[in-house]
Amino acid sequence: MSPPAMPTKEKTTAPALAVNGLSLPPPQLHPKIQLEEEQENQEHPSGLLDSIMWMAAPKKRRTIEINRTRRRAESKLIKVKNNIEPCLECGHLKQKHVLCGFCYAKVSRETGLIRQQINAMEGGPLRTPTVETVVLYEGETPSTQDKDKRIVERPRKRPAWFSY
Amino acid sequence: MAAAGTGSGFVFVRNVCGLFRDSSRLAVLARPQQLSWFHSSSSLSTKNWEKKNLKVFPPQLPEEARRPAEVHHCRRQIKYSKDKMWYLAKMIRGMSIDEAVAQLEFNDKKGAKIMKEVLLEAQEMAVKTHNVEYKSNLHVAESFSSKGKYLKRIRYHGRGMFGIMDKVYCHYFVKLVEGPPPRPEQKTGLDQAREYVQKLKDRTVIHSL
Repeated sequence: MSPPAMPTKEKTTAPALAVNGLSLPPPQLHPKIQLEEEQENQEHPSGLLDSIMWMAAPKKRRTIEINRTRRRAESKLIKVKNNIEPCLECGHLKQKHVLCGFCYAKVSRETGLIRQQINAMEGGPLRTPTVETVVLYEGETPSTQDKDKRIVERPRKRPAWFSY
Repeated sequence: MAAAGTGSGFVFVRNVCGLFRDSSRLAVLARPQQLSWFHSSSSLSTKNWEKKNLKVFPPQLPEEARRPAEVHHCRRQIKYSKDKMWYLAKMIRGMSIDEAVAQLEFNDKKGAKIMKEVLLEAQEMAVKTHNVEYKSNLHVAESFSSKGKYLKRIRYHGRGMFGIMDKVYCHYFVKLVEGPPPRPEQKTGLDQAREYVQKLKDRTVIHSL
């Protein structure tokens, strides 16, 4: 096969590109206007809904195996806690660095009742006397330390956890 | 798990209506007994986990190993996601009941509180009706969650589009077995080495004389 006849004069109007086999069309005269026209043709109805050029989308459906390996990875499983111990006072479980929930509830119930008593004594807001308060239970007399203090009486036996 | 439809709303509604029409037609035409290739039992009830407690074994012979007591318990239609419930179910698999209850008590998830109630109910059932002597001598043999019946609601998107939102429900199943939890056997290095050497020795040449 004879090689194709080469033209004797290879003269192009525009500067030739060094790389062979380029897919882009060769640069033409009046490049700016033609480039804009091409862009318009390529980008179809220019709107947010149908711009296929720049929105990322998944190419394939993620299989259940891939999904499972991601969801069940070691980092996503719940870690077992090793800081749970029984409370020495009540025997319920507690975390080492946290107060026992049962004991806290027990104490807050009693403090709530004391606060109700104090509200009943005061009768309204902003009537707190400017002296200290001491809580006394059944059968208790104020000691020498409690001389100038306001006494709140609670009609029950002193709870074991409420020391003097 | 919430479905989000981004297609045109009207066509979607038509398709959905078509689906419901088709299913109702099928149910009217066929009697359950005739459609034996759909499911083998004649009834559509799938509450089989509760039925496992009713199974009665024949009395054991004196030389047989003691069959450990089992109790199956479940809770249906919990307002929680089955995928989120799975993480908790996976955590307590294989634990003793006390350990499992302790872990669930200090877990902050919504399903942990429900799961703890189910475990305590099952423990009580085991002691009262399933001939378990010590309530602490139980371990979690099986624990898993499954999908309940979802409610469908409409979720409004912009531009008049809508999607159907699923209000998720799940079931939770647990099986407690009497006895300490089975420990996974620890293989020493010597055992592994011995096994490896044995595998090498067991190699044989096929089609040889």
